[in-house]
Amino acid sequence: MIVQRPLNVVIVGGGTAGWMAAAAFTAALKPEQRRVRLIESSEIGTVGVGEATLPHLRMFNRRIGIDERDLMAKTQATFKLGIEFVDWARVGDSYIHPFGAYGSRMAGVPFHQYWLRQKKQGQAAPLEAYSLPIVAARQGKFALPVDDPASLLSTFGYAFQFDASLYASYLRGFAEQRGVQRIEGKVIDVQLRGTDGWIESLKLENGTVVAGDLFIDCSGFRGLLIEQALHTGYEEWTRWLPCDRAVAVPSRNVGPLTPYTRATAREAGWQWRIPLQHRTGNGYVYSSNFISDDAAAEKLLSRLDGEALGTPRFLRFVAGRRRKTWNKNCVAVGLAGGFLEPLESTSIYLIQIAITTLIDYLADSARFDPRIVDAYNRWIDMEYDRVRDFLILHYHANQRDDAPIWNYCRTMAVPDSLAQRMELFRHRGRVITYKDGLFLEASWLAVYLGQRVIPVGYDLLADALNATELERRTRSLREQIEQAVARMPTHEQFLGNYCPAKLA
Amino acid sequence: MNAPPRSVAIVGGSTTAWLCAAALKRAFQYRDLDLVVLDPGRSADDPLGRWTLASLRSIHSLLGLKESDLVRRTGATFRLGSEHRGWQGDASRFVHVHGELGINIHNAPFHEYLALRALTGRPENPEDYSLAAVAARTGKFARPMNGHNPLTSSFTYGLHLDELAYCEYLREHTKRAGVSHIDAQLSDVTFRDDGHVAALVLADGRRISADYFLDCSGRQALLMNRLGRADWQDWSAWLRNDRMVSSGALAMDDPSAVTRTDATDVGWLWRIPLAQSSVAGYVYSSQFCGDNEAVRQLRHYAPCVSEPTLCNLRQGRRARPWTRNCIAIGASAIELEPLVGADLHVAQLGVATLIELFPLDGHGATEASEYNRIIGEHADALRDFTIAHYRVGVGRSAAHWAAMRAEPLPQSLAEKLDLYCANGRIVLRDHETFDVVDWAWLLLGSGCLPDELGLHARTTLASAPVEHIAGLRVAIERLAGSMPRHMDYVRQQR
Repeated sequence: MIVQRPLNVVIVGGGTAGWMAAAAFTAALKPEQRRVRLIESSEIGTVGVGEATLPHLRMFNRRIGIDERDLMAKTQATFKLGIEFVDWARVGDSYIHPFGAYGSRMAGVPFHQYWLRQKKQGQAAPLEAYSLPIVAARQGKFALPVDDPASLLSTFGYAFQFDASLYASYLRGFAEQRGVQRIEGKVIDVQLRGTDGWIESLKLENGTVVAGDLFIDCSGFRGLLIEQALHTGYEEWTRWLPCDRAVAVPSRNVGPLTPYTRATAREAGWQWRIPLQHRTGNGYVYSSNFISDDAAAEKLLSRLDGEALGTPRFLRFVAGRRRKTWNKNCVAVGLAGGFLEPLESTSIYLIQIAITTLIDYLADSARFDPRIVDAYNRWIDMEYDRVRDFLILHYHANQRDDAPIWNYCRTMAVPDSLAQRMELFRHRGRVITYKDGLFLEASWLAVYLGQRVIPVGYDLLADALNATELERRTRSLREQIEQAVARMPTHEQFLGNYCPAKLA
Repeated sequence: MNAPPRSVAIVGGSTTAWLCAAALKRAFQYRDLDLVVLDPGRSADDPLGRWTLASLRSIHSLLGLKESDLVRRTGATFRLGSEHRGWQGDASRFVHVHGELGINIHNAPFHEYLALRALTGRPENPEDYSLAAVAARTGKFARPMNGHNPLTSSFTYGLHLDELAYCEYLREHTKRAGVSHIDAQLSDVTFRDDGHVAALVLADGRRISADYFLDCSGRQALLMNRLGRADWQDWSAWLRNDRMVSSGALAMDDPSAVTRTDATDVGWLWRIPLAQSSVAGYVYSSQFCGDNEAVRQLRHYAPCVSEPTLCNLRQGRRARPWTRNCIAIGASAIELEPLVGADLHVAQLGVATLIELFPLDGHGATEASEYNRIIGEHADALRDFTIAHYRVGVGRSAAHWAAMRAEPLPQSLAEKLDLYCANGRIVLRDHETFDVVDWAWLLLGSGCLPDELGLHARTTLASAPVEHIAGLRVAIERLAGSMPRHMDYVRQQR
């Protein structure tokens, strides 16, 4: 084989995205294959996005060789079984989007079709009763899932709620140990190659010049390389996702730690609540068209469980994604690549998928094959587009007319891809599933029904099972779930034994 | 009509029609769906033999058909895959079997390992790492088992079918299941005010009305062609074979469980083994080969025992196989040369998708658009896989091949091949019949290697467990050696 010189990777920005990229590159490639440097300035704050994560992050951690228990203890982490949505379809509503399925298929027919049949006949228990993670979440219980597919305890997954800045520090330690070189400094100039406009080098404030083959832009919303230097362009989705600001503040913990994140719909957006071991993360995501910054901060502070710790911090963003997240020799990861509000905790997932896909696709260190770049961009676009549609569903399917934002979202035209999905679900409860990308059948189902998109009909095949037998099976499933949850420890008990916080 | 359909009329007398009727009857047993098959008789140009994918077995089991009985009574044989000769020049050959290839190496698929070996000057034969391929090569066969040895479940299989006997077998089964049928010709259809079909009018004046109508009449599309404006998506620029001829032939000598194809300058010849005979055929371009010449070559290829039947092939698909209250299933919806053995798979996909999406009312518009989307994606993926046989590797140099190879690829296929050539990765879309390993058989078999492998894959594969891999070869050879001969196994079916 031809011996190639090491791939020279330069990462700009040291937030969650930057250190995830650094850690993943060092774990995937041998020291002689790569040189990885990360430029960050301690003067520039990081956003620290996504304190709530998805179960996929566990695969990322496993892939690069991180011990989960150690990580959780050092990031003040708690367990997460899903997200509770409060007041979304109507004020007073609550539903949980769980990490796990509702029942299982019978005679090849999805479980929820039988549930729709029972509901039509007025005999259905709440759908929540068929989801172990929801029942556990509602009771503040937690236990690790098991591998045995015959066990009910294999029917769910979990994620973490953690301090993203601590996660970044943790990864920094991991990456630096494996040879990533951290460069302190601010990039003040980007040198492009005359022939083709590729990035040649970065100039730092102190005069240092950093050259590289591959530049990973983790500089946040502004997109220092991908946008300011390469003018890649941005596809804006504000017409569907009108929120463009957020204000965040931590608060003191009050009461037991919930094994789930909460998202509460508000007068101009929604409020998050993420319990960590040492504090609770809170924020108000809102549209500047419908509320002022001061009013949003005031509302947030008045709706905390416990005393605020610190002063509120403001963020600005525009929903959308970069026209190409890989342009020339620059790959934008995290907020530099696109922004989708953290309603479904997708920020870190989108970082993860960008990094792992990049590592899986990269072939040659000397040039970046346009065939690979195109395939990469198609993949990342698909991931963003599918998350986008799922988020829009939360806003669009509402029955609130108490605030202009909800009236706007209910009456707006949604992307065709979503309109078709919704029509099919409304008509007969069928969820359009796909092979790749986020959100399986159960996720769509939870949000459709939670948002009161109630199917008119259901699959005829669900009528094949006789009613007594169906009633017997469904009752038995509910009982098994109740019993299994009854045996689980509380979330706090479990945390205390498994990964009590310790200093890194 | 605001209630679910109570009646379905099926037009067609071929295998597809009976499969659809039997499957619908079985699925909606509990609600007493009224089913009638209008059987205009076999179309003279139907093929005499078929080869199928493993998926057919799932519909057999759904219908309660016992495979050993079916094999014995219809003279079928087993099929591990295809052996393709001549596709990369006269002396070339490769197999595409329905089985695993090697083992994953630290999460990297085995085809990347084989590509790396070839790129570094140590090429290996993929067949050596597949039980199905070694069994196919050595004339062995046994059904997969869930034994201790994971190799015994490392493959799956399809069937070689005598079309007439199989059709008759299904027809008998379907009639026993209580589906009524009328042997008559379709002479006309009547329409409702909203443009939906109201009734089929038979040659003797009788009318068959129903809520929904299925067109299972094959390429003739007896029903769909009466609906007016065709919405045909033409594939003939990429797939230029437009004629098929087939004939019964003498039994082969101790045949392997494989479909044999032989590419020529104007198309490809095929031959499948049956229990007491065989069937051979030729798929070719009429632009480059006259029918008489094709028949002559076919007779030279196999000892034909019947007058060859000839038919036209118009490769492409309907954009909307479900239109109003009519649904085209099988060749009336998708016409594709039979290279990849998916004819019955297409029919089965059609009826399975229809059962899942069985309309809740007389409009069915929501179901129709979803059905058309799913079937369309599957059809395009099958098209791509078929086209790829002509486009990967060096191919053949004749004018017919050159014309096909000059055509820009469908975008979906171009994207797939581009990424593969750039870094060895094979990425599938949502609805594809063939899996990554099928593409690997085709690509490696055709000598189509990626320019290089991904950086990460190279790192991973550098520490491949060489001894374990060598051990796999030995284990496969030993296990294949212990399997019975294919034709002995066929004769043992009771």
